[in-house]
Amino acid sequence: MEKLERLLNLTAALLNTERPLSAEQLKRGVGGYPKAKASFRRTFERDKSDLRKMGIPLRTMPVPGVDPPVDGYRIFRSEYTGAEIQLAPDELAALHLAANFVRLNQGEAGLHKFGKAGEEFEPASVGKVPFDERLTTLISAAANRRAISFEYGDAKSRAKREVEPWRLSFARGHWYLSGWDKERLAERLFRLDRIQGELLDVGEATSPKQSTVDPSKLLSWELGEGEPIEVRVAVDADQISYLRYLIGQSSDNMEGEEAGIVRFKVRNREAFRSFVLTFLEHAEVLDPPEMRADIISWLEAQT
Amino acid sequence: MSRLLGVIPWVISQKGAALADISKRFDYPENQLVEDLTGVVFFVGVDPFTPDQLIEVDIADGEVMITNADWFSKPLRLTPNEGARLLTAGHSFLDTHISNSDSEGEAGPLLRALTKLGMALANSKDADASHDVVEVRLGSASKDMLSILKQAQAQREKVEISYYSIGRDKLTKRIIEPQAVFSDFGAWYVQGWCEKAVAERTFRVDRIQSIMSTGEAQQNWPQGPRDMAAFTPSETASKVVLSLEPHLSWVGSHYPTTSTKTDDEGRIIVSFLVSEVRWLERLLLRLGKAAQIVSIDPPLGPNVASTAAKRVLKRYQGASQ
Repeated sequence: MEKLERLLNLTAALLNTERPLSAEQLKRGVGGYPKAKASFRRTFERDKSDLRKMGIPLRTMPVPGVDPPVDGYRIFRSEYTGAEIQLAPDELAALHLAANFVRLNQGEAGLHKFGKAGEEFEPASVGKVPFDERLTTLISAAANRRAISFEYGDAKSRAKREVEPWRLSFARGHWYLSGWDKERLAERLFRLDRIQGELLDVGEATSPKQSTVDPSKLLSWELGEGEPIEVRVAVDADQISYLRYLIGQSSDNMEGEEAGIVRFKVRNREAFRSFVLTFLEHAEVLDPPEMRADIISWLEAQT
Repeated sequence: MSRLLGVIPWVISQKGAALADISKRFDYPENQLVEDLTGVVFFVGVDPFTPDQLIEVDIADGEVMITNADWFSKPLRLTPNEGARLLTAGHSFLDTHISNSDSEGEAGPLLRALTKLGMALANSKDADASHDVVEVRLGSASKDMLSILKQAQAQREKVEISYYSIGRDKLTKRIIEPQAVFSDFGAWYVQGWCEKAVAERTFRVDRIQSIMSTGEAQQNWPQGPRDMAAFTPSETASKVVLSLEPHLSWVGSHYPTTSTKTDDEGRIIVSFLVSEVRWLERLLLRLGKAAQIVSIDPPLGPNVASTAAKRVLKRYQGASQ
């Protein structure tokens, strides 16, 4: 019997049953398994893994009424089907177009489960977006209104945070999580690459969703706790329009085109320093003195 | 098997389907499809595998009927992973192709699909629920600029651009042939032949200050598959290897590195191809001492970080006098 037939039989058996089936029962009832104990075990484990990789919700639970307890397996039909999605042909076509347009690293988008709808063609442009499994956890948590806990920070400082995720945004080449910080009782923004360790579900979300933060408009140095400091920077004339592109601002932050002085509201010094140094010797922090001193000592450390 | 788990419920829901239609919809070559339906599915069922417990597959005149397959009558769900990816792909597409002024028109089907997807992910009947839990901005380039470039690409026309080159630290005018427009690392790029460089180059769209269509036809459309890389190194590029403290691991996925690995001490070793020393100066000054140069071959000058730091410091020392 070939593997495909055995896998289909196994899936049918697991969907058909009303109580969990043990490995022995499946060996007898499904057919196509090697007789020897060790080879059966290996094949059976691989089969379970293959089914799970396809997204089949194969559950392990004890067979009731058996002592000593024995592992049983089954698939609940409601979980197999999940929430049914009925897509009209134009909706399916739109999803295919989107899935073809964007390259998310590794992994399938699952559209093959619905089949295609009409002709496909090479899109005129392609977008690449990095994607990792933590996004799935956070997106599901946002959709299902769950609270998540994680460690946040970098090598120097890390803290435990509890957040009710509202939205995942990809902007400026980074993923951001915006959500309700349960400790600070306010909306906060987190950069995904500073979220460390395990993401743990800590219960139902209770805050009403009302996001006012738009990560694509926020400037990295404006993020953080506390009152911002106003920093003045002199920028060479021929860099001003490049600066505008970078911060997407109109000229209300500029003191006057000829003066070439730009004002910033800074909460995160590290992010601000990084931004100013993009301009190398074409920009100079004028005040406050501690910001100026910060840049000078940072540079001196590298000479 | 995944495909069959899609085929079976679809054929059942359609109350029968033509082989040709199934083949097209599920990307399933017809002969393989027939073989799998008659040689495998036909024998699938449950214990005791008597005829009444087996799936019935009937193929006549190119039409397929499937019955007695109750267990597979509904399609397999999208996993949370697949759902999340689709939502992300959908929003990326929306960001690029739909301008704000146009809503129901082009975006209608996609928005409806994403709403349904959101509801499924949230296990909710509430349409309001959650399709906007994901938002993607592929880059900050203006939609007008992008649309001029895409048009130039589609019509194979040259354009003249005024471009701010980070490497050269100044504005230059160039005539280019847009051949690919793509987004990577959160920014938009246009790749194509550059008359000034007499070679293929990649430009960041948000550094194009102005653009003008020349009306002239492109002459250097390349054959073969394209590597849409955010950076096309010149022939004289240097290979730069940096050793980074662990908290800088994001550098590996935020810039076009040629390789990224972790050494025994947990430091991240990244390699880049660099044509312009200014680009490297910016990177090193911004990362600070947490980034150490392992090697630069061929060299881009003595002690890149130190030279750059001194040059910037001069400005600070000058003002204080």
